[in-house]
Amino acid sequence: MTIDVYIPLALSLLLAAISPAVGRRVAPALAARALTAAAVVTAAATVWSLVLLTVTLVDDTPPVVAEARADGRSLVVPVPEAIGVVACLALAAVAHRLWRAVRAEHGTRRALRRLSEGHPRDTELIVAASPVPQAFAIPGSPGRILVTAGMLGALRPVERRVLLAHERAHLTHRHALLVTAATLAAAANPLLSPVRATVVFLVERWADERAAAAVGDRATTARALARAALTAGRAKPSCALHFTDRAVTRRVAALQSAPPPHLRSVAVAVLALGALPALGAADATGDLLRLLSHVLPH
Amino acid sequence: MAGRGPHGRTERRSSGELESEVLATLWSTERPLTPAEIQLEIGGDLAYNTVHTILKRLYDKGLVLREVDGRRGAYRPAKNAAELTAQAMHEALDRGPDPIAALQQFVTGLSPEEERALRELLTGGPV
Repeated sequence: MTIDVYIPLALSLLLAAISPAVGRRVAPALAARALTAAAVVTAAATVWSLVLLTVTLVDDTPPVVAEARADGRSLVVPVPEAIGVVACLALAAVAHRLWRAVRAEHGTRRALRRLSEGHPRDTELIVAASPVPQAFAIPGSPGRILVTAGMLGALRPVERRVLLAHERAHLTHRHALLVTAATLAAAANPLLSPVRATVVFLVERWADERAAAAVGDRATTARALARAALTAGRAKPSCALHFTDRAVTRRVAALQSAPPPHLRSVAVAVLALGALPALGAADATGDLLRLLSHVLPH
Repeated sequence: MAGRGPHGRTERRSSGELESEVLATLWSTERPLTPAEIQLEIGGDLAYNTVHTILKRLYDKGLVLREVDGRRGAYRPAKNAAELTAQAMHEALDRGPDPIAALQQFVTGLSPEEERALRELLTGGPV
């Protein structure tokens, strides 16, 4: 038990460390799914480990101690009390972070619903009569694509097709769901934040690849991205320095080289890495239950 | 995906997708467009009759208007709902980085050197 409960923490660090490399080398659809699944399982195992560590505090409670003394049993102390207290505090912090993340998600959905008001339900494209270049997918059933007149006017006809195909791919492949899952995993376990960032980038890459397939040309897709980014950059130059993640240039570069292979072996390895913390947590649970059966009155 | 041709060919578009494309084309310019002009803009294997059918559908939904006094047979986009959406979008954006920042935006900001590289791509490559 003593080691098992710390396994999820160590493996979260490992998952976070390898996620950028996985994102670069594996086909985005596969990498995004595998990383999200691994992150969610790891986050759940981390939270469960914190619960287990907190539960160990139970053997320090006066009734338990008193009963054990009366029975002449000696108490096994699996973890120092201080660690139990720290775990309890961490658990409270996790709960708070998850609550905040869920609320933010809820706020986004509400704001998005407002944007589709007044548009016929059976129309995919929602145009906003705004000169600000902007485009995003509005998940839901049916999903919608919002593009501003400013963005449509800046692109050439085939580039508008790329944009529509890109946003459509977000909707068809339920990317919002993947990103929400990764966001909640990172909220529960901040060590997984790099995994979330990679998933966010990968769903963009995934949509880029779908768009390239739809228009049948990777170079055109790259140019559409470049023009959209330049148009958006001109519109709000003050924002330019905030984004130094080079996401757009990395996406353009990826479209200029061959599509990354479906390395299933890497995806399986990522999933196995995600499963390990769960096994560790399950093992620790067994240990704790045995321990408690000794300690707690029957 | 169904309808995907060999390398270099484009995927076949559904009627919903074509509707989006026609609407996007009308919004991309200030002046009203005739079905023939729209057909030319969108290109590909799109038949004139198809453009006509799509325009009719968009007209029935109230998303496009027929030009009355200008060029006959030309269409322009209806602005009402689009202006409300723009207003709602700006309100959401002004409220801070959330919630629109949390969305999957098509593109985010650029650093000066990235801007240079992208500009080179656009001017250098065949368009």
